[in-house]
Amino acid sequence: MPTTTAESPGTRAVRPFRDGLVALDPPRLLGSRCAACGTTAFPPREFCPSCRAVEHIDKAELATAGRIHSFTIVRQAPPGMPVPYVLAWVDLPDDGVRLLTTVVGTQPEEVELDQPVELELTPFGTADDGASLMGFRFRVTTRGETR
Amino acid sequence: MSPAPAFVAGAGMIRFGKHPVDVTLERMGVGAARAALADAGADLADVDGLYMGHVFGGPVAGQRIGAQLGLDGKPVSNHENYCASGATAIREAWVALAAGLHDVVLVIGVEKMTDRIVGGVRPDPGDLDAAVGYVMAAGHGMSARRYMADHGATREQIAAVAVKNHAHSVHNPFAHYQKPISLEEVLGARPIAEPLGLLDCSPISDGAAAVLLCNRAGLRRLGLSGPVPRILAVGLVSGFVQTGLGDLNAEDVSRRAGEEAWTLSGVGPGEIDLVEMHDCFTIAEIVRLEGLGLVPRGQGGEWTAAGHTALGGQLPVNPSGGLLSRGHPVGATGTAQVCELTWQLRGTAGGRQVDGARTALAYCKGGSVNGTDGGSVSTVVMTR
Repeated sequence: MPTTTAESPGTRAVRPFRDGLVALDPPRLLGSRCAACGTTAFPPREFCPSCRAVEHIDKAELATAGRIHSFTIVRQAPPGMPVPYVLAWVDLPDDGVRLLTTVVGTQPEEVELDQPVELELTPFGTADDGASLMGFRFRVTTRGETR
Repeated sequence: MSPAPAFVAGAGMIRFGKHPVDVTLERMGVGAARAALADAGADLADVDGLYMGHVFGGPVAGQRIGAQLGLDGKPVSNHENYCASGATAIREAWVALAAGLHDVVLVIGVEKMTDRIVGGVRPDPGDLDAAVGYVMAAGHGMSARRYMADHGATREQIAAVAVKNHAHSVHNPFAHYQKPISLEEVLGARPIAEPLGLLDCSPISDGAAAVLLCNRAGLRRLGLSGPVPRILAVGLVSGFVQTGLGDLNAEDVSRRAGEEAWTLSGVGPGEIDLVEMHDCFTIAEIVRLEGLGLVPRGQGGEWTAAGHTALGGQLPVNPSGGLLSRGHPVGATGTAQVCELTWQLRGTAGGRQVDGARTALAYCKGGSVNGTDGGSVSTVVMTR
């Protein structure tokens, strides 16, 4: 499925909520990888936070499978953020990346440490030019779908 | 080689709490400044400049206060490092005094929050964490859950931080809260970011705290003799971008801020008699003490429950009540901590006095930046 762009007249544009952070098709998080030491970073950075290299930092598509390292059920938040929601540190073991994300797909009370989760894209509001913005979250992996 | 010490000639606060709308940022800042000047027996004419710490006070907040106070025309600088703003202003003042640029300076930390902050504080909207729903309480909720899983700590041990700090501030006339609370109240409070509840969180407060700092020439100008508590050093670091899947509660940023403090001051961690610790949330006091190396890794919960960090314990932490109970007007916290250390080192802290306090540490951790282990961390080492 080709994604539309702001330049396509007559169609509603869809684009990542931040440039270079996610790929829409197939859905992927985009990071950076240091050619010298192999460290992967998310979000992508122009330097290697591990060996401090500033050259040969490559783009990298991250694995979509993760597990919950820790989480909280947020029950109070500033206006505009409907509660409750589950916020988690999710580890992507294949990339050695830990990232902050909301987690959906189960009752908040049923989320557990080390639970497997899978990346999915989700609407992140609308841009000033009317384009739909896409962000990311993780979904608890349904039983029988273990990787 | 470390800069020379800064002497705390005067310390003054207005009570932290929820003040009416007409108790403005400017009024609070002026009130704390006048209290610090009076404490030092100093006049406005003695003051060379003003260093201001705040977060939500708007442009040129220090100059707005200076124009009300009578310090108009003097050099004024405004310092924002989120919850470490007041401490950062003190650091810059310390450096200016040591350099001889100024001899007597006023440092004010102030925040008006209750008329503009609802539901808690969060990172800048431009930060990726804010975009995915991060609020400060959530970060500490995740910290607490992982700490319990990794170290076998209990919810009750974490809640004991709030019970302890509220018990301390019964004796602090400047505290937002001055009543004891029970463990049952902490455990039964409305959940905010599980496992943390309302009483695990520092309140949204208004308030101001000020210190009059000077170098040796300033001591002579102010006519001060006899022992005056000294700021030996103010460490400051920012978080590193994290990689890999390590310990969520490693608090390496706290370790590094501690190393800065020990190196700059020449004081070792074993010499610290009391700590004013940035307990914006209960669990934060525990993991930051561990990061500094003042409490063995994984034992902070046990230490708290056993009373080791209470008044009368082996390392009293937050005799003032800390952020949890003194309150947390964010830009004022760093200067309020130094007011408390000053009173403790003078031996004038009344019912919350740490017996024989000679050397003390104040720690602030301000803000969060996506991917790092913290925004700004400050460490103030003082001696009497």
